[in-house]
Amino acid sequence: MKMKKIVAAALAAAMALSLAACGGGQKPAQSTPAASTPASSTPAASTPAPAGATEITAWIYPVGGWSNEADVKPLIDQFTADTGIKVNLEWLAYADGDDKVNTAITAKKAPDLIMEGPERLVANWGAKGYMVDLSDMIDATDKSEINAAALAACTSADGKVYQYPMFITAHCMGINLDAFKAAGADQYLNLDNHTWTTEGFIKAVEALYAKKGDTVAAIYCKGQGGDQGTRALINNMYGGTFTNAEHTAYTWDDPNNIKALEQLKNMKGIAFDASLEGGDELKLMYQEILDMAFCWNIAQQLDPASAHGDPGKTMNGQEIVCMNFPSPDGTPVLQGGIWGLGIFNNGDDAKIEAAKQFVKYFCDSEHAADAAKISNFFSARSAAEGTDLSNIFADNAIMTDYNKVILPNLGDYYQITKGWAGARTEWWNMLQKVGKGEDIAASVAEHVANANAAAAG
Amino acid sequence: MAKQSKQPMSRALQRRENIAGYLFMLPCLIFFIGFVVIPMIICILTSLTDTNMHDPGLIGGSFIGLDNFVRLWGDKDFLAALKNTFVIVIVSVPTVCAFSLWVSSAIYKMKGPVLSAFRCIFYLPVVTGSVAVTVVWAWMYNNYYGIFNYVLKGLGLIEGRINWLGDERFALGCIILILFTTSVGQPIVLYVSALGNVDTTLIEAAQVDGATEMQVFWKVKWAQMMPTTLYILVITTINSFQCFALIQLLTKGGAGTDTVMYRIYWTAFKLTEQAGHFGYANAMGVVLAIFIGLLSAVQFKLAKEK
Repeated sequence: MKMKKIVAAALAAAMALSLAACGGGQKPAQSTPAASTPASSTPAASTPAPAGATEITAWIYPVGGWSNEADVKPLIDQFTADTGIKVNLEWLAYADGDDKVNTAITAKKAPDLIMEGPERLVANWGAKGYMVDLSDMIDATDKSEINAAALAACTSADGKVYQYPMFITAHCMGINLDAFKAAGADQYLNLDNHTWTTEGFIKAVEALYAKKGDTVAAIYCKGQGGDQGTRALINNMYGGTFTNAEHTAYTWDDPNNIKALEQLKNMKGIAFDASLEGGDELKLMYQEILDMAFCWNIAQQLDPASAHGDPGKTMNGQEIVCMNFPSPDGTPVLQGGIWGLGIFNNGDDAKIEAAKQFVKYFCDSEHAADAAKISNFFSARSAAEGTDLSNIFADNAIMTDYNKVILPNLGDYYQITKGWAGARTEWWNMLQKVGKGEDIAASVAEHVANANAAAAG
Repeated sequence: MAKQSKQPMSRALQRRENIAGYLFMLPCLIFFIGFVVIPMIICILTSLTDTNMHDPGLIGGSFIGLDNFVRLWGDKDFLAALKNTFVIVIVSVPTVCAFSLWVSSAIYKMKGPVLSAFRCIFYLPVVTGSVAVTVVWAWMYNNYYGIFNYVLKGLGLIEGRINWLGDERFALGCIILILFTTSVGQPIVLYVSALGNVDTTLIEAAQVDGATEMQVFWKVKWAQMMPTTLYILVITTINSFQCFALIQLLTKGGAGTDTVMYRIYWTAFKLTEQAGHFGYANAMGVVLAIFIGLLSAVQFKLAKEK
């Protein structure tokens, strides 16, 4: 009997212990960092950190080279060494990053800092009042140095700056030049200024299809990933628009877009593919299965499919060339990418101040050059505190060329239109329906109406 | 006299055993109440509100009665997801049960190591992580370099490629096939065990009376396996209703593969700019729970009658 009691007591103790272990102890309200600064880094606080806020969390979407921990960590370590502020970094994925941020906001555990674009920081979380207004960090000199379009996109309708712009690019498309040459389709390319006409694009696809008898390019529509490519292609082909100029309504029921969709649907060699997203598409281009990728930009050109192969080359060394999207007269309007930092208002002034120090350090100091350089995108400003940022890629021929022939065609940043997340969903759902063979005009009308209804609230 | 003195001791012992029993249950009970009962109550309550991510508290938003439920029946996307969910359940539950019964009947008499090998083979997809399984299947289904297209083209059965996961005609079937392979493992193990436990005296008696193999199976063995069958039916039905990971990883609800579980996730966490989505998503959850409950009740009822 005594033995039984001892065994029962031991079992009960074990259960209580396991319960306590499962419950976990009290932890600071922070995320588990995917890669925090190493324990060995010893901060030599040259600039004293704000009292009580020597540790902040930053969540980073995989924006160009900022997805590469090996490049980012030394910069963060240097920041910690210079300011004494420890930064817990966590990288998000585009597939579920929004879910994580939204869940964190709901649970009141949002990070202190976040890196992404205005469609999230300004139009979504900023508009909902979760972000700190950074307009006090931007004086007249900054305004003269920051790209005006980028700053406008980072500013809400009521003049609040929810994102400090860091770097910009123009999304374009990539083509396999060797495949084009083999099919005789390179005659439709203007390789001096990397443009082509819609007619040339159609003929090029015909030539490529005649040569290989298989899919040349895919209108990917599994989800929203890389949808800037399909939007830019369809908008540019016959001069259609996605939103109105005031960014108050979605206008992709424009007859020019319907004409483009009908054209693409009827083209042999173009597949509406609901099993692909942008990331899948550019991998297929890298593997030489597809001859074109609509989800392309300078970061891809420097490191195709993020495979760490040769810049501007497919897996077998065929040449990839960046092209503007085809348009009726060869004057495209490209979709922009603007990325930067925003600060969540978690009610802790000390942390907000520390986060602002981080923003100042990487966006408006001599360190802005390194921050932009590792991104593989162009700095969103010409200079920062006396450091010239306009020429940081002078030693890189690909970047110089891109700067000359692609970036000047940067168009309106319409991604800040209200209801953006819902509109993106409507877009790829619509493409799936078109791919299935449903009536194009009716599908377009239905999904534009849904997008506008969602935007209206 | 002896009885009178024994009674109070027995009650004390009973009490002590009860207390010990409840203490053993306590850890599980805390988890069950904390992670099942309370969330269920919150889910039901929230489904009657327009709660969204901007509202504070567990049950934020305003009480809107049954509005979310009324809205559901006019929501084309939800109804399509509900239809797909029922297709998955209707196809996968009987096929999983029939296949696992067939395999079990074929292997349960085998010798130890061979039987173990078969059990391992069929159980492997169950214990393998769903992400790993899905990645392999995604590669096999790939439109451009998948093995299915390669083999079928090689055999001359198809001319062009089939976009298995991007074409509405095939995508849901592909999902059901994966679900099938990951679902049969447990029923096979259970059926093998149940077949091994069938009373041999009854079988021998039936054989002496001249029953055929089929008669022995359906009249003797099947009847004794009914509790196992009921368990398998209920578990497979619930798993099929809750099909989520495959959809999330393979199609994201596109190509006609949206299910109620995926729509709940999508509505709650993706459409963050629209108000009222937590409440609305929870209403979907309540509807799904009602359907699962009804179907399970029907299965219990039918099995009892049998």
